[in-house]
This record gives sequence, C-alpha cells and structure tokens, in this order.
Amino acid sequence: MFEPLLFKNRRPERPATLDEYRRGGGYEALAHALRNLSPADVRHLVGDSGLRGRGGAGFPTGRKWEGVPDDGPFPRYILVNSDEMEPGTFKDRVLVNIDPHMVIEGVILAGYAVSAWKGVLFIRHSYEREAALFEKEVAAAAEAGYLGRDILGSGFTFEIKVHRSGGRYICGEASAQVKALQGERPRPDKTAHMARKGLWERPTVVNNVETLAYVPHIVRKGPEWFKGLARTGAGTKLYCVSGRVRNPGCFELPLGTCLSEIIEKNAGGMLPGSVFKACLPGGASTGFLPAEFYDIQMDFDVLKEAGQRLGTGAIIVFDEGTCLVGATLNLMTYFARESCGFCTPCREGLPFVRDLLHRIEAGQGEASFIPMLKEMCGAMSHAYCAFAPGAVAPLKGLLTYFEDEIREHISQGKCPYGPDPRPRELTDGALWSA
Amino acid sequence: MGGQDVLGKFRKEIRKAEYPRELAIDVMYALQARDGYLTDEGLVEGAELLGMTPLEMEELATFYDFIYREPVGEFVIHACDGVVCWMFGEESVVDYLCRKLDVAVGERSRDGLFTVLPSSCIGQCDKAPAMMIRDRTYGPLTPEKIDEILETLKQGHFPLIDEGDRDV
Amino acid sequence: MVSLIIDHREITVPDGTKVIEAAERLGIMVPRFCYHPALGSLGACRMCAVKFMEGPVKGVEMSCMVDVEEGMVVSTTDPEAMAFRRWIIECLMLNHPHDCPVCDEGGHCLLQDETVSGGHGLRRYMGKKRTYEDQYLGPFVQHEMNRCIQCWRCRRFYQEFTGYRDLGALGIANGTYFGRFSEGSLESPFSGNLIDICPTGVFTDRPSRFRGRRWDFERGPSLCLHCSLGCNTVGSAHYREMVRLEARLNEQVNGHFICDRGRYGFKYTERPDRPREPEVNGERVPQEEAIHVVVERLRAIHESAGPTAVACMGSPRNSLETMEQVARLCRTQGWPGPRFFWDASVERKTKRAVSRLDGSLAVSLKEVEEADFILVVGADPVNEAPMLALAMRQAQRKGAAVAVLDPRPLSLPLDFHHLAVPPSRLNSCLQALMTRTVPRNVAEGLGADALGFFDALAGASTQSGGILEGISKILPGLEASTRPVIVCGMDVVGEHTPALAADYALLMKASKGQAGLFYLLPGPNAFGAALFSNTDDAPETMIEAIEQGKIKALLLVESDPFASFPDRPRLDRALDRLDFLVVLDYLPSPVAEKAHVVIPTATVFETNGRYMNQEGRIQEARAVHKGGTPLSRTGEGGHPPRSHLDHVPGGGVRAAGDVLNDLAKSLPVRETGPMHGDPATIPAEENRFLAELLEQGCEGYGARWPAGSTRARPFAQEALSPENDQGDADGLELLLVDWTFGTEELSSYSAHTREAELSPYLALHPKDAARLGFSTGDRVVLNLDEGSLEVDLRVREHIAQGVLVLPRHRQLEWQKVSGFRVTLPTNRIKRI
Repeated sequence: MFEPLLFKNRRPERPATLDEYRRGGGYEALAHALRNLSPADVRHLVGDSGLRGRGGAGFPTGRKWEGVPDDGPFPRYILVNSDEMEPGTFKDRVLVNIDPHMVIEGVILAGYAVSAWKGVLFIRHSYEREAALFEKEVAAAAEAGYLGRDILGSGFTFEIKVHRSGGRYICGEASAQVKALQGERPRPDKTAHMARKGLWERPTVVNNVETLAYVPHIVRKGPEWFKGLARTGAGTKLYCVSGRVRNPGCFELPLGTCLSEIIEKNAGGMLPGSVFKACLPGGASTGFLPAEFYDIQMDFDVLKEAGQRLGTGAIIVFDEGTCLVGATLNLMTYFARESCGFCTPCREGLPFVRDLLHRIEAGQGEASFIPMLKEMCGAMSHAYCAFAPGAVAPLKGLLTYFEDEIREHISQGKCPYGPDPRPRELTDGALWSA
Repeated sequence: MGGQDVLGKFRKEIRKAEYPRELAIDVMYALQARDGYLTDEGLVEGAELLGMTPLEMEELATFYDFIYREPVGEFVIHACDGVVCWMFGEESVVDYLCRKLDVAVGERSRDGLFTVLPSSCIGQCDKAPAMMIRDRTYGPLTPEKIDEILETLKQGHFPLIDEGDRDV
Repeated sequence: MVSLIIDHREITVPDGTKVIEAAERLGIMVPRFCYHPALGSLGACRMCAVKFMEGPVKGVEMSCMVDVEEGMVVSTTDPEAMAFRRWIIECLMLNHPHDCPVCDEGGHCLLQDETVSGGHGLRRYMGKKRTYEDQYLGPFVQHEMNRCIQCWRCRRFYQEFTGYRDLGALGIANGTYFGRFSEGSLESPFSGNLIDICPTGVFTDRPSRFRGRRWDFERGPSLCLHCSLGCNTVGSAHYREMVRLEARLNEQVNGHFICDRGRYGFKYTERPDRPREPEVNGERVPQEEAIHVVVERLRAIHESAGPTAVACMGSPRNSLETMEQVARLCRTQGWPGPRFFWDASVERKTKRAVSRLDGSLAVSLKEVEEADFILVVGADPVNEAPMLALAMRQAQRKGAAVAVLDPRPLSLPLDFHHLAVPPSRLNSCLQALMTRTVPRNVAEGLGADALGFFDALAGASTQSGGILEGISKILPGLEASTRPVIVCGMDVVGEHTPALAADYALLMKASKGQAGLFYLLPGPNAFGAALFSNTDDAPETMIEAIEQGKIKALLLVESDPFASFPDRPRLDRALDRLDFLVVLDYLPSPVAEKAHVVIPTATVFETNGRYMNQEGRIQEARAVHKGGTPLSRTGEGGHPPRSHLDHVPGGGVRAAGDVLNDLAKSLPVRETGPMHGDPATIPAEENRFLAELLEQGCEGYGARWPAGSTRARPFAQEALSPENDQGDADGLELLLVDWTFGTEELSSYSAHTREAELSPYLALHPKDAARLGFSTGDRVVLNLDEGSLEVDLRVREHIAQGVLVLPRHRQLEWQKVSGFRVTLPTNRIKRI
C-alpha cells in the first residue's frame, strides 16, 4: 500500500499544525542533521537520493547544492520558489495548505546543507492566503526554536521571510526571481550563476516548494529508501490532474506511475461521455501527448526519451470534443501575454504565432501557415531563455500529432468543434492587463 | 481608504533594511490598498520613501499584473482565462462577467464596484472555471454562482466563505 | 591568445574576445542590435546568430555571447543561421511603421541596413501593429516610439553607462516602452548619445529634424571646443549651415560618446548677428580695406608710442595655427606678449599645470576609466567637463573609489566621498593626504628636493577636526589603490594646487609604481595657450596696462574679455581708453561692438585647425564646409538659386591665422626678437616638444605629449606656504563657477544649448543660510562693487561653509565684482 510522504498529514479543511507535524516525526530530521551530520553529509544524502527538482526543470537537487562554492561569501540564501503560475499546476498551493511545516523543515535543512542562514519564500500574489498561512507557521516554528539563532543549541542560525510577487509568470525563473526580489525589473539573466552569485550577489540556491518538502524524509530515512519509493527515478511526485476528468485534484504517487493509472485510479477517469484525446503531461509548457502515450510512465527520463517533458507533472486532460487548436491558441495567448519582453523571438515571435493560430481557429487560416508555424517553432529554441521554447511546446505537439486537425480548420474555413469562436476575441493590443 | 499612514510602518522597516528596494512591491500594494489603485502621487511618494526615482518605481509598477496604474473598481475580478478554465462552460467567465456588468475588459463599472481582468492561471485548475477577487478564489463557477457572488458583493458583503476555501 | 576560423579565415585574438568582435577584426560585421562595443554584450536581440560548425561549441549560437575558444570553426553564412536572422528581422518589423520616407534615421539606420542584409522583404504578418504615444523629452532628443525594436541600448546606456535614473523601460512583452515617468527634459547631460546609439529612428536629433538625408550633407571630422577634453565629433553641414554634430570614435579620448554641451553648443555659427563682413567704425568695407586700415593705424601707433604700446591677444579657443600667427606677429613686431588669458591667476595656474604635466604622468580620458582610485581636487566634472564625469563613472563600475575635494555642491552620477572644503583649505587638505599616504622613504628615494618637501609638508598642514575626519574616510581606499589618478581643476584651486597635485602624483607613482595626473584646463586649446603665452616682460595684467595707458592699441584674436572678466564697467572704461581696438572673431561678442575694426573669421567648421587638449594631445579638426552665408538666409527660404555665381555669398570669411598672416606681411618688417621670421616663433623649449609633435602629425587618435617634457622643478617648497586661511569671519567668499549650460562662452551663443539652461541660483551652506536667515526659494540681492545683482537662492547640503557659489551665467549680470576673487561681507546680501 502506497504511503504518502508529502501528503501524510493531509486533513480536510485545514493544514497540519506544528504539533501534528511533530507527532508524525516532524523536525526530527532537522534535529538529527544539526546534531550528527555535517552540511556536506546532508548534501550527499540528497545527492545520492536522486531527488530532481520538481519545479519543471528536473535538475538534480544535490548537484545544485554542490554548486555553492565552499569559499563563497556570506550570507547565502535559500530561495523557495513558490511562484507557480504554469497553467494546470496547483500542487505547491495544495502542499503548503496541507503541511507548511514540512516545507519549512526542508528549507532549514537546505540552508544547513549550503551554510545559508536566510530563506526567502517567493510566493505569487494569487496565493495571498497561503502566504499568510506560511508567515503564521514560520512564527510558530521560530517560537518553538526551529528558526532563529542557535537552533536546537547547534549554533546554526536560520530565518525565513515571505516575499510576495507582483504577478508575472517570468518571476518563476530563478535569475528573474532574484531581480524581482531585489526590486528591479525581472528578466532572466543567463550570465548569472545563482549558486555563486545570486540574490544580492551572494550564493543562492533556488528550489521549488515540492522539492524541499522531500528533504526531511530523505534525511530521516536515507537515499536508498527514497529511491525505492519510485517506479522509475527516485521518490514520489505530486501529480496534478485537471481538465476532462471526474475528480480533478492533486495526488501524491510514486514517480513513474503510468498516466493511465493516474487518470483512472486517482482522478476518477474521464468525465461521463468524454473520451481521452490528449493531455499536456507537465503543464502548459509541455507538448500534447496523444492517446498512443496513454500508458507512459510519468517520469523525467522516460518522457524525455519519448521526445516529451515531464515538467511539473501537471496533467491537463483533453477529450475528443475539445478543439486542440483552440486550446493551443489559448496557451499561445497566455504566453505572448506573459513574455517579459527581453528577447526578440519571444516578444515578437509569440504574438506572430498566436496571430496565425487565431486566424486558423477563426476559419481564416491558409495551408501556408503550417510550414510557417513549424519554422517558427524551431526558431524559438534560439531564444534567450527556456520560456519561448516552452511556450511553443504545445504547438509543436499539435503540429506533430494533430496536424490533421489544423488542416480541417483550414479546409472547412471554420473550427469543426463548435459554432462559437472560442477563444475570446482579443484585440491584438490587449495581450496584457492593467 | 485614503489618508491613512500606510507608509508609516514601512518607514521603520526601510530604515532598518539592508536593501530597502526589496520592499518595493509591498509598498506598492500598500499604496494601492490605501488609494484604490496606484496613483501617480502615490507612486512618487513610495519611490521617495525607498530612495528610488519615480521612473524606477514605474518600471516595476507597469511590469506587474497586480499593480493597477489606472482606477479600478472596488472589486477587481481576476477571471482565469487559462486553458483549463477555458475548457469549461459555454461562455468564458470573462465574457460572462463583462456582459453581466456591462463593462469592457479593464474598465471600471459605472457603479464603481467592479473591474474585470483576464488572469491566468490562478492555480485553481482543479476547480475550473475559477476567478479571484482580492485574496479569495471561487470555483468551479456556473453562471448562477457568478450571479450570486456578484449580488453579495454589490450588497457590500466581503469576504465570502467558499466551499473550496482551504484546499487540503 | 586564441586562434579560430570564421568563414574559412583564421584569426588570432586575445582571450576573452567575443566571436562577434573577432569577426569584426576580419572585416565581417555580423548583424547586431543590442551589442555595442561600449555597452558590451546582452544577448537580447538574437540578431548576431552564427553557426558553430566544429570545435567546443556546435550549432546556432549568439556570437556576442560566446567567448572565442581554440579550434572553433564558425560560419556566418550557414543557411540555418541566415534563415534564423532573416526571421528575427521579420519579427522586429512586425510592429514597425515602415515610415522610412519621413524618418530622419533613413540613410544611416542600422535597422534598414540589417533588414536588407538579413534578406527580409515580404511581410507575412497580417495582424495589427502596436502603437505608442510619444513623450516630449526636452529640446535635444526627439521621441518616436513606434519605430522601437526593443534593443535595450537606450536603457542600458542611460542607466548603466551614464548613471541617470529618469529614463527606463515601462510596460512588458511587446508593449515595452522606453521613456520617462512623465514628460520633460532628460536629466542626463549625455542624452544626445541616445540618438547615435539608437539603431532605429526612435531617438533622433530634434534641432535638425527633417533637415535632410545623410547624403545631402557635407560631413567632416571635427573637435568639440566647449571644454579642454577635446572630444571628437563629426559635423554635418547643409547649404552652408551647420546642421548637427555626432560623436566620433576616439578610443583614447572620448570613446563613442560626447556630452550634450558639445553636441548642441555649435549653433553660434549661424547666428544672424554673426560677423560676416569686415567693418570699420561700423561700416561694411571690403577685406583689403579693413586690413589696410588696421595696418596703417597699428604702424602709426607703433611709430608714435613705441612697440610696447601695441598688444595682440588670443584666447584658449584659438587653434594652434592661429596661436602661431599671433606669436609670430608679436615677435616680429616687437610687441609685448602674446597673451591669451585675462585672468592672471588662471594663467599662472594653467602654465604651472602644463609645465608639470610630463607625458609619463599624464593619463588620457580613456585611461581614467582604468583607475582604481580617483582623487578630484577643485574640479566639478559635470559642470566643467561632463565627459570626465562619464569616464569616472566607468572607473567606478569597474570598482574604483572616488573622492572629491571641492567647495561646490557638485553632484556626480556615481558614489563618491565629498569633502566640501573651502578654496583656502584645498592645499592643506591635499598636503594632509600626502603626509598620510606616502611613506617617507619613498620621498627620500626621489632625492633631496623631494625629502625636503616631504618634511616641510607636515609643518605646513593644519586641519580642523571636521576635515581630518573627512580625510580619514578616504585614506584606506587611497592607501590600498594601485592605479590612482589625481584630477585637478583650475577654477577654484589656489595658485600652487596644480603643482601640488603633480607632486602628489609623482610621489604616488614612486610609491605604487603607477599613478596618473589629469588636469582640467580653461579652454579647448588652453594647453597651447600656456605654451605660447609670454608674459615675462609684462608684470602687470592686461587691463592694468591698458588703464595705465601703456597699451594704446589692442588686437583681439577670437578673444572676448567680456566673456570672463568679472568687472564689466571697469572693462568698458579700460577699452574706451584705447586708441585703437581691432577684433577678429566669428562671435557677435560685446567687445566686437566696441571695436574700431571688426574682421570676421572662420569657425572650426569652416577651416582646418589643430588643438591641444588638457592632456597635451594634438588633434586636428577638419573643415566640414567652406563657409559662407547660409542659403536659408540668402535664399530667404526659397529654392536654391537656379543661376550660378562665381563666388560664395559671405564666402570671404577666412581663418584667423590667414588674416594675421596678411597683417604680418603688410606690416613693416622690424628687426626685433630672437626668432623673427620663424613662423612657429615660441620660446625654445616649448618649441622643441611642440615642433616634434607637429611633425609627427596627428593621424589616428592624435599625438600625445611626450614623456620627459616636464620643465618646472617638482617639489618646490614655495607651494607649501600656507594659504590665507583667515577668511573674513563675517564675509562669504564668492565663487564664480561653470555650469553645464549657460556659462561656457561658445555654447552660450548657441540657440540649442540655451534651451537646456537651468535658471541660475546662488548656493550656500545651511549654517550660513541660518546665520543670515535665508532659505531655499528666497530671492536675494547682492550689493557688489559695481552694482547690485538679484538672484534666487538655494540652500545646499554638501557645500563648503563660508562660500557663495554663483554661476557665471549668461542670464545673470554677474560682472560687477572688483576681481576674480572676492569676499562679500554678509551685510551686503539681503533678501528681497
């Protein structure tokens, strides 16, 4: 029987309290680490466990921590990325609402591992209630002696504060998030190496909320145990399921669980009358997985070998009755709107692509658009950061697996899926708000 | 609203802060809460407090989704137009709201109560279609539910407890 | 060094070179927008994509972001790279208004060039274009945002390079907008460079808007004459009128940029009241007749009152050619001088500076950027020589610390320690620094003079606690520095400060192995003026000589005493005493109005001329056009004449040197002076260096003042005699200073820079203000020796106590004080 780690304290209607967390073994890992382990020990545990970042990139967490130079300056920062704005993704929100202390303990352990004494939770504006909850529980943890100076008599000092975002998708990117924190206009910076020179030019480790929540478990029970939990890869994963399913929600399952199992055994299967057409496996910046992938194991490497991406593991399910051209148009509109505006392919190319899709969906498409779209999807890989390539991932999937659907739009001169021209008729200038 | 010394508590923090600019967004939110939206005067005030020029503050204010540099209604409705919310409902939430409130996107309704802004994604995909007003989220929405919420707000009741309030 | 192959050609370049730079050295201009040699690489536009075929990097990458590595093989013509670049241009043109026909940038537009080179032609985008509302940004820079391709150059230049904070990026995504928070003049005195660096027509030259296309203009390499830095420019002329200036690259002086005073101060050339025809007693006469009158009268006065009764005076804005002719005239005729300065103290200071600026100590403007500590003594860069402030900022961006000893409430676009010491304390401050940062044995190693000087230092420096405290803050940085530079101005410093600055530089060089000396001099050719000036035979000042009747005839060559002499009524009276006053100039100056004969001369844009900048570098400005009355005036706005003349209207204006040459040839030959007959007749020592440099020619970036050229003895203890520290306890020292706009002579005549002038005000310290009961916003009247002056008052924090700082502003009638240095009793300042 599968035992959840992150969701073990899941209660209806309220998060776990500090006491409830402790009763389940909470903060024991911290105590153990501070008493018996060196920072390098903690890094090795996490490294050996095979834990990969859960924020979308899947970068090995231990390796990221090792990037902080031993002789690097102080203070150092743990930047907890809770900017979750990828459509389809809501796992971090759910996690913080279930067990804020598990996250807190993970952050402190990460701090110990790289000799950082400051943690910042960067949280999106839409999660204001979660921010307030987190602040409240940070205060409770401090009062209980798990934060502040000389934690548990170890000499280690750590403090956490919460920083609220002004609201932009690009703030989820590590170097852009640092700029946002510093009160500057955010934009990715490929020349900035966070582990050496991040927030305020100090070594900074940027980790997703979910990633950090695994750390106390790994420290308590060891890397081999963690690896053993997965079907492929290491550990468990929070899978979000939304779209045309009976029970959309967030489910903790072994990493590598099959897509079909996630949908049918956890999300209640398709809605009555709905037939599976495709899904986006990891949120909006991944490509469509058509029915032929229905049994694929949802793991980083497996999907990569299939030419796909796990991303955040946020599964958006589309049925046969849903127009994927319309869905892609919706996604392109979103991404064009959220482009930070720094580089040309993203800033100008995404609206260009969006305009072509809009015409196709509105029945004004031409056959020549298809090679144009393919050309542009390829060109996006030479943008400055990963935003633009991610933005066209659904479109790439559409062109690869559903080109016929596009051709139908063009030959019929209308969207075959419905009379109403959903998406909304946006004027080209109004891609952004307020 | 108006006239409160919302910046008062920031003055102390800024004096102590190693990096005052870290507080820029919080200062903007506070000014916005005080004046209804971030006014030119408010922006200049906030900039001065932080040792920034008005231009530097404006560079931030115009970048972010949740900083309003134009007058907005008392209730800003961030209606999600992300792909999951898009999948549900005959009409999009944004279109329905605009129709119901007789207002264009980004405009202020005549009674000064509402502004509708498309926003995506607000992290409520398991409760699609959804919308966000201040720090509350509502979903899954139907036309009836939307009407109910609007009515309650019009009568001056806020916040509303929604059954999907705490997701655990 | 690294070797790599680009387009089948091999090149070897230093480590750290970017691939785009290496390609440029091969003559391959990889298309680019956001990359700029002065701003560095950004990686935003994606236009510089090339394909790496073999080696450590493979595939399409941005050549500006990749460092060269051994064994790289790069293709700029690979189809994948070219298709990508073509698409990038297509993307950039999505929202572009395609308004080349009405855009000033057309013909020198990087976007045009790259669109053609990128191979984009047919438009596939059918959507709407985003449009913007433009802002008024001041008199210099025109704003048209629809053309923007978001290359980020303007923001990076404005904020990162110049350090000003009122222009930036607003909005997001493809609505990103570059502008100000609200409309109004750009604050940076370097804003005009936006025009040069913007690759499209977003920022264009506002005063010359719609004037013409590049190819319509006559263009030539010129020099800025509005301070002593000698920045390089390119002038454009159209139909005998100077239309605009742009920055010209000089990698050793100004780099890629110039300041706004230099860019827009040139419009003195086309003032309607500019002298264009010779006048005798107010009547227009042909050139020969004017020369004849001058020759006759000078000869008569020479014969009746002797050669010492005739004086010929130039100014620091003469070219070297003109100065040579002035000197030759004086020598061959046996007249006293020549003189080039009206302020004897400034003259002494400048000469001391020039005599101490050995080529081995002198640093160029560009080299200032490499300093790790810059000590500024008595200089206000933004107001006096703005490009120096820009160079100092680049030094700080690389980690340099900056300290300024100056009484004025100056501001700089960088962090700096400001010790607001009054002028009387500058020397002792400097001396205090010297004793604390130079080990005695270093002085000992330089010889007996140095040691004696060093030991006398301690005795000569007394300091108040406040100043000592200020000094202590800058000591650690100064001590730890390995490449310090001392900057010394001429305006507010004492007589011996330039020598002290040089002594300090020598000591620091001996102590650290490297140190630089950088003077700001009072004029574009003040260095040459100091070399040519000969006042050994005349102990009194020029004005005294005139008042005493010793001088009866004065020939002024491009020199206007009214521009700088502080006592106008006295000057008026003195000049009225003269029997004969001749003015050769291109400015409609007040002194020209008093002259018996006025002979117009050519401006720097109408004749070739060489100038020595503050570093002793000789550079040449070449004529941009041949001169003459602008067609806009002769044609009265109509079409250019359809018939041809055999002369250029107003084309008889000649270079001052040529006019002087005519005079010299027509005047009787006198057998006087040791160097008569020799065109470059200046004292032997200066002649040697100058002659060498002139022979070297000034191709490239100009000829630098050589090492070993110091003529004055260093470590002179007379420099240490304590300044008059006992200021009038009840009085305030009136400092007359320069501002960026409104005080410099040439630009004060320019309609363009006049628009940028700020309202003049008097500045003083809060304590002094409190004592007098004044506050910011008051309007006060100063009762000066020769009249009263009304001016607005501002209290400023970082100003020396006991001083009043007043700009020599065109809009103020400030010339009512009895001398260049004045102390005003407090009862002579009242609030209105």
